[in-house]
Amino acid sequence: MQIIVNILLTFALFILIGQSFSLIYYASRFFHIAHAATLTFSAYFTYLFFMQLNIPIEVSIPLAITCAIAIGILSEISLYKPLRKYNASPMMLMIASLGLYTVLQNIIPMVWGNATQSVRTWDTRVGNEFFGAYITDIKMITIAVCLTLFIACVFFMKYSRIGRNIRAVASNPELSNIIGISSDRVILWAFGIGSALVAVAGILIAFDTDMRPTMGFNWLLYGVVAMIIGGVGSNWGLVGGALLLATAQHLAAYYIGSQWMDAVAYIILILFLIAKPLGFSGKRLKKVEI
Amino acid sequence: MEYILHLLILIGIYAMLAQSLNLSAGFGGMISLAHAGFYGVGAYTAALFAVNYQLPFLLTLPVAMLLSGLLALIVSAIALRTIDDYFIICTLGIQVVVFSLMNNWMSLTRGPLGIPGIPSIQLFGIEIGMGNRILFLSLTLFFAALIFFFLKKLTGSSFGRTLRALSEDEIFTQSLGKNVYLTKVIAFTVSAMIAAVPGVLYAHYITYIDPTSFTVDESIFILSIVIIGGMRNLWGSVIAAAFLVLLPEALRFVGMPSSIAANMRQIIYGGILIFMMFRYSRGFSNIN
Repeated sequence: MQIIVNILLTFALFILIGQSFSLIYYASRFFHIAHAATLTFSAYFTYLFFMQLNIPIEVSIPLAITCAIAIGILSEISLYKPLRKYNASPMMLMIASLGLYTVLQNIIPMVWGNATQSVRTWDTRVGNEFFGAYITDIKMITIAVCLTLFIACVFFMKYSRIGRNIRAVASNPELSNIIGISSDRVILWAFGIGSALVAVAGILIAFDTDMRPTMGFNWLLYGVVAMIIGGVGSNWGLVGGALLLATAQHLAAYYIGSQWMDAVAYIILILFLIAKPLGFSGKRLKKVEI
Repeated sequence: MEYILHLLILIGIYAMLAQSLNLSAGFGGMISLAHAGFYGVGAYTAALFAVNYQLPFLLTLPVAMLLSGLLALIVSAIALRTIDDYFIICTLGIQVVVFSLMNNWMSLTRGPLGIPGIPSIQLFGIEIGMGNRILFLSLTLFFAALIFFFLKKLTGSSFGRTLRALSEDEIFTQSLGKNVYLTKVIAFTVSAMIAAVPGVLYAHYITYIDPTSFTVDESIFILSIVIIGGMRNLWGSVIAAAFLVLLPEALRFVGMPSSIAANMRQIIYGGILIFMMFRYSRGFSNIN
């Protein structure tokens, strides 16, 4: 029973991170690696506002999310947009993003140090018993928030004006430009929303398991793997991918040891690329066929 | 003096790594983040055989190259089904799997404890290692030169031309009757085999290895050497390797405390990566 709770928690975080990343990837068609730094920064901003500046938590969390959105939007305006103007390929954008990630990633230890930091002001408790499994309050909040935001985001993409514009740009940027949807502005929206979502995930992770300067990268890569095995742009695929990944990881942790969780995630990715290169959804994607 | 020799040896090792990556990333257009993994496979093979079976350097070197090549062959057969950014993600996955094998397979690699007591190189009755850095430096330079000329020849051959052509336009190259897939697999495998050489040298030189030398960050570092030095530019890789290895020393010279210097170095090369992408995309073409 405990393992099901753990799977559910990881699954919820995977779909939120996967959703936030795929929103950006869907609109702009490149891997925004620096997204991992946004996740870490949101956690550290919470630490800054809440623990260091003693701002009440109801204010510091929105502040941290706003700062994370600013990072996402600034990186789009100052880096990716000019690069796209010069016709950089998605691969160049990805490497530039890798550079940006390296820069941002190394600012954190210079400001806050390399040690683990905590935003928990309360004592650790056993948590609530729930059909024989133990679950802490923060884990329950995490699951609820992640799933709610995911569903909200799905509806947002389907019915809101911005969501529709994002989908239009994703399917054909040039045609969208012709009929008056500015692809630059839409990508900016995608960066803003994506950064906000990942900031929420980062803050929830920080409240649950504290923060380290390197925490973002692994979480992001799990989200990316979930997105790839689910198929880009497919919500149900993402749910399936995240569920498969979370289940496999926790079963691996249970049966062969938790140190193999990383390896298992990538072995699943590689198996998928051999057997079903287009992901669950089977949508065609140019990258995987020659 | 000893320290300068040490730095020169490190430059030699990174120059070899960058050149081998240049074959697959620069000439073949297959940007890989798994290179530290192959480097690590080379180092671990040499270390394990030298410590457990007392194999001499002249035997561990080919064994390490074969093992690394074999791994690359299997990996590339899978990973090369994808291209561009998906390929990068795929190699990143391979890097993480290799690292987690080194870090967690306790019975073989002793995990994070690492492998201590790797013997120095014995060559024709002469001991080459930490104790005699000048000799080790000459050995490193010998291998670096060997690799340089091998890659120069290889990339100038018809194979190299096919490789360059397919990195420009795969379908067009295919239409000329070239076997694109096979060429890519060979280039990737050869690149990984060469990466094992600096691995073996590193293991015998430092005499102690642990998984932290072969992380994703190391892969990003090697890739930045290649990009900063210029794609398809073998001399550029050598110069960039020297630059990036000496950069932290320069920062220390300026008087930056070492706790900040490590991060500062990363920030600088991250910044250079971004700058290089602007340069490339502005039309400073990456074609020689």
